[in-house]
Amino acid sequence: MESNATTSRLTAIALSFMAVIWVSPFSWLILNAFNPMSTGQLEIPKSIGLDNFALAVSGNAGRQFLNSLLIAAGTATLSVVVGISAAYPLSRLRIPGRNAFLWTLVLLRMLPSAGVLVPLYFAAQRGGLLNQFGVIIALTILNLPFTLLLLKNFFDTVPIELEEAAYVEGATLFQIVTRIVLPMSRAGIAVVWFFSFTGAWNEFLLPLIFSRVQDGFPMSVGLYAAFGQQGAINYGFLTAFSIIYAAPAVGVYFLLRRNMNTGFAGVGVKG
Amino acid sequence: MADVSLRGVRKSYGSLEVVHGVDLDIKSGEFVVFVGPSGCGKSTLLRMIAGLEPISGGEISIEGRVVNDIPSPQRGISMVFQSYALYPHMSVYENMAFGLKLAKTPKAEVDQRVREAARILQIEDYLDRMPKALSGGQRQRVAIGRAIVRNPKVFLFDEPLSNLDASLRAQTRIEIAKLHDTLDATMIYVTHDQVEAMTLADRIVVLNAGRIEQVGSPLELYRNPINTFVAGFIASQRMNFLPVTVEGDRLVLPGGKSVASNHPQRGNARTLGIRPEHLVLATPETAQFSGTLSVIEQFGEYALAYVEMPNGDLMTVKLDGAPDLELHQAIHVGLPRDHIHLFDEAGRALR
Repeated sequence: MESNATTSRLTAIALSFMAVIWVSPFSWLILNAFNPMSTGQLEIPKSIGLDNFALAVSGNAGRQFLNSLLIAAGTATLSVVVGISAAYPLSRLRIPGRNAFLWTLVLLRMLPSAGVLVPLYFAAQRGGLLNQFGVIIALTILNLPFTLLLLKNFFDTVPIELEEAAYVEGATLFQIVTRIVLPMSRAGIAVVWFFSFTGAWNEFLLPLIFSRVQDGFPMSVGLYAAFGQQGAINYGFLTAFSIIYAAPAVGVYFLLRRNMNTGFAGVGVKG
Repeated sequence: MADVSLRGVRKSYGSLEVVHGVDLDIKSGEFVVFVGPSGCGKSTLLRMIAGLEPISGGEISIEGRVVNDIPSPQRGISMVFQSYALYPHMSVYENMAFGLKLAKTPKAEVDQRVREAARILQIEDYLDRMPKALSGGQRQRVAIGRAIVRNPKVFLFDEPLSNLDASLRAQTRIEIAKLHDTLDATMIYVTHDQVEAMTLADRIVVLNAGRIEQVGSPLELYRNPINTFVAGFIASQRMNFLPVTVEGDRLVLPGGKSVASNHPQRGNARTLGIRPEHLVLATPETAQFSGTLSVIEQFGEYALAYVEMPNGDLMTVKLDGAPDLELHQAIHVGLPRDHIHLFDEAGRALR
């Protein structure tokens, strides 16, 4: 008994130590963000305020937040729309070699984006797309293979008999897709949308190269540029900025979890 | 209500032909059942009538109008699927109203028709539920309700009961029979279950390997099967078949005993068929054949005795009540000559 208690106390101490190591960067982040007179040290703030956050959502930083939102939401929506239009026929038509085709696309996605950066850049330059819209298109193109593969698998789970039933009842192809297939795959579509959203939100390289003016920077690029911008590093601003930058990912996580819990399409049809 | 006619209907997938020229006339208001073993083409035939499969050859007409090139929604049919195919994201009400809404029917009329169908099928209480909150039998009714609201000329059923358990199946069978009586609509029903075929049909179409074997009322098929396939397929217990040789006016059975026959074409008889319910127990002297009891299944109201013949074949004998028989005891069976069916070399019935 005695030795058991000692062991468990030792384990507790070791675990607390681990926990401190894990938690300290986060606590540093939070403590500095809420400290208007932050110095970049890990210390208990003398006063607490939201001044840093106010700074991080106004002016340049605020515009960067909107830019990020625009790029992420635009990419996610465009990926889903184009993905649906391509994945539905791929799911329903017996196209020879369709699986090989899909996996070839995935292989393309496996290439590091730096590897395709140069051709993408020149294509965008020729097309006059060196702006946010260009970033959205480029990211959508890079996203599409996975989007296609995921959406096709979701559509595969919608029983063909449901579509036949709707067809017999007089639904056109468009009505079958919008009223039967899409509502039944909404969990899958949400997953794809959120993944594309976070992917585009986190994207750094493409926006950096494509939008070379300060006004066009999303947060990822803005954060990088903010280092040493006003002569010295403003830790309070940077930490608040980082928290805002990370918030959508956390939000997406909870939204996703709720969506996954509501379950996938195609269940509960058989008797 | 409409009549349906099939003229030389064929279906092939590439070079493989699965339905080989089917001719059939279905009268208005008739309940026709397509029955046959799996892969006989019965579902394919139904799907061609529904417009879900292109027709490779021949003509299908509904109400005198050739529908080969008319898309399904304009054919005036409703279909009930084996898996019910209810839209899982819509309530029962929305499921039933879906087709009407697509057809831009006024709201009041949609409501009235859905409620009327729900009343007929006694599903009024579930109208707000989602399909996943319903039992199999209730889902089945919703699927039928969805077919009724569109007021079709022809109802098509694709094995609608095969996902239900045995007691529910019997119950739903009766409901479908009642429904046919109430609606007085043309119904085409596909099943592999000969009990459903016997009990529901005005006429049964027996299909085998993409061809019609025989068409007739249930009792016609029971009494006068046209060949050994139909004889073996129709009725709950399979017909017994015995090889026979003909000696004058007598048919000699395996084991040496014989039965008299005055059939004009008895000379061509190669196989004798007799249904289990027509066989009777006899004494060794009067029996046409004897064997040992290999298995007995007691159902209470009747029993099925499986008699092993000396040559190893099993014969089924249906006995009334609960006969007191011991396993492996000798059984002597008599063949009443009125109930004998004779078949020629090719398995065709001698008429």
